[in-house]
Amino acid sequence: MWKTISSGSAGVEPAVRQLLPPCQIRCPINEDIQRTNVLISLLPEDPELATEGVIQIGDYLYEKNPFFPVCGYVCGLCELECNYLAKGGAIKRRLLKRFIADTYIYHLDKKDELSIVKSKENVAVVGGGPAGLMAAYDLSKRGYRVTIFEASDRLGGALWLIPRYRLPEKMLSSTLENMVRLVGVDVKYNTKIGMGKLNLERLRNEGYQAVFIAVGTPAPRTLTFERKEVNGQELSGVMYGETFLYEVSHGNIKPNYFRGKKVLVIGGGNVAFDVARTARRLGGDTSLLCLECEDRTSIDRIPADWDEIRGAWEEGIKIIYSRGVSQITGTGGKMRKIECPKCISVYDPAFNPKFDLTDVITLEGDILIITVGQQPDILSLEKEDLLNERGQPAIDQLTLQSLKKEWVFIGGGVRRIGFMADAMKDGLTAAESIERYLNGLNIRDGRKRDFESQDRPRRRFYETEPEVLWIPPEKRMHFQLFERGFTLPEAIEEARRCLNCGPCISCKACLSIGIQEIIAPVEVNTDRCSGCGICVSICYYGAAQLKEIEDKLISITDTFKCKSCGMCVVACPSNARKLVDDSLEKRTEAVYAALQG
Amino acid sequence: MVAFEPKVVCFSCNFGWGFLCDKDDLSKSIKYWIPEICSGKIDSRHIFQAFRAGADGVLILGCPEGHCHYQDGNYQTMKKVYLMQKVMKAFGIEPERLSMNMSRDPEGKNIPSLIQEMKERLIKLGPIKKM
Repeated sequence: MWKTISSGSAGVEPAVRQLLPPCQIRCPINEDIQRTNVLISLLPEDPELATEGVIQIGDYLYEKNPFFPVCGYVCGLCELECNYLAKGGAIKRRLLKRFIADTYIYHLDKKDELSIVKSKENVAVVGGGPAGLMAAYDLSKRGYRVTIFEASDRLGGALWLIPRYRLPEKMLSSTLENMVRLVGVDVKYNTKIGMGKLNLERLRNEGYQAVFIAVGTPAPRTLTFERKEVNGQELSGVMYGETFLYEVSHGNIKPNYFRGKKVLVIGGGNVAFDVARTARRLGGDTSLLCLECEDRTSIDRIPADWDEIRGAWEEGIKIIYSRGVSQITGTGGKMRKIECPKCISVYDPAFNPKFDLTDVITLEGDILIITVGQQPDILSLEKEDLLNERGQPAIDQLTLQSLKKEWVFIGGGVRRIGFMADAMKDGLTAAESIERYLNGLNIRDGRKRDFESQDRPRRRFYETEPEVLWIPPEKRMHFQLFERGFTLPEAIEEARRCLNCGPCISCKACLSIGIQEIIAPVEVNTDRCSGCGICVSICYYGAAQLKEIEDKLISITDTFKCKSCGMCVVACPSNARKLVDDSLEKRTEAVYAALQG
Repeated sequence: MVAFEPKVVCFSCNFGWGFLCDKDDLSKSIKYWIPEICSGKIDSRHIFQAFRAGADGVLILGCPEGHCHYQDGNYQTMKKVYLMQKVMKAFGIEPERLSMNMSRDPEGKNIPSLIQEMKERLIKLGPIKKM
């Protein structure tokens, strides 16, 4: 069984010219997707031996992304850009990561605390969601003494709103606990900045040299129609999706709570689907109503993921497209029905829904759950004078440093609502900024990174994606996981499907396990090269190119794209190409000498 | 008469063959073994040199079709083997002396037996004709 090495020549280097595979560019934290895919593809089939490899891969992923066990259940952004997408289906990277996480999480619980010398400044992180935790973790690893001030009684923030049938509690709670345990982050629960006497100035007086504010988006957005608040939102039976999910996650809503009730969910995003599917599991006869249309090629398409829509549909949730809500009416203080005019367009190109008021339907229901987005906790920022004239956080978007107070940094959902990984990225950005700020370094230098994507390599064979098994709808009306993960052979098979289209420099899986000694650069002997272009036609990566140099057409190699596969060397009819310091020639000579001897 | 012991040079791809084994250990039971990162790196020159140096056969172990880390390296080698067998035949050398196996064996346990099978086929052919 191999042992991975991640240091020296086997360590991943930062991308020069920022060439990366498209999946890693799409991933907000640029996880080393290709490297870990290759390592999974090279796992032994023996489960016991494989566990050793899985833990090594997990340790590697954990270094950069301590949230990966959660990501493996809820995030698949990388799959949206996979070069395989149009050729048989994206590599199921999320499930590959979940495969690692399912074993790794138990190893994580037993892992020893990292020995970190905490000799640097005190830093306060306000908010213990993905952004805050990521910043706290990163800064602690760098030797800062970090304290998280969390308003509620648990870490994780909005991650707790993800229903259990998608993310098991064990994965989330272990991930959160270990993140603060391993690097020694201090957490103060039930501590809200802005409440009582606790404000930023006080934190500063208490010795915190820098503060990262990541208070997220705890306030639900209310329902509006033609820019006016819809009447009736105060009626009993009307609630907001986030509040509902929060109560469910805290176990405050009993099974079958909605049995015999007609539940209407408003919203077309993934959270609305989480709400609808949760309501369905609580026994409700559930319908989901959204402004957007069903046509997924339209600009007005429903924003939720296809898997969510499919899941909801399978579970018997009625989806009503292209309808808004103009009025909620009730009797005796209880909501009874909603008026739903036809929505004819949603974007133009900004969000600006238009309705056909001659086409209105009335829907009756007992419960109305409004899930049309969340709002940032702007109030606490306003109190501290951290907003600009437009009412948004006044920050440098590149470094997240406040433009009002240089020792304050603001990020995560409160800056811009996004995916979990976007918030994590903000945490990392803030950590880097804080370190630079505290050390008096230039906070902006070299921070902007524009990545260039590697194209799909040419290839003869493609395979279709594996089918992901879900528990049949009639058997999944509970809060247990409904999606089956990969078995070891399935994970190996799926990882082998990866095109490994990214450059070697940001992968080096082969070097790390010692099946390759060096990634040898290709050298072209310009005297021998006739410029025939055979190398160009054989190169799968577009690395071999023809160029006119001093009136002579010769071939060159783009060293960033070249993978040292040697295909061009073998194909060259005039022996003009060679791999510098490659060991193949030496090895063949030694074997041939032995043959003759 | 001394029994004919054929000499087989074996090239193998590291992404499909023996990446889990201890190379030093396995090489004790494989005499003329050249593990390489991809079977696509093997040049026709390497193969002919092997015969010239006295090999009675050359065995190339590549990844299964459609499963090359470098996209189609194994396919290119498969083409090469096919063409080289034609050339060898034209020169009066039995094409069976060059063989390719496209499969996968992470622990490399099957490599010695595949070489043994090749040797048995070569015993029937006898030593390679010197030209």
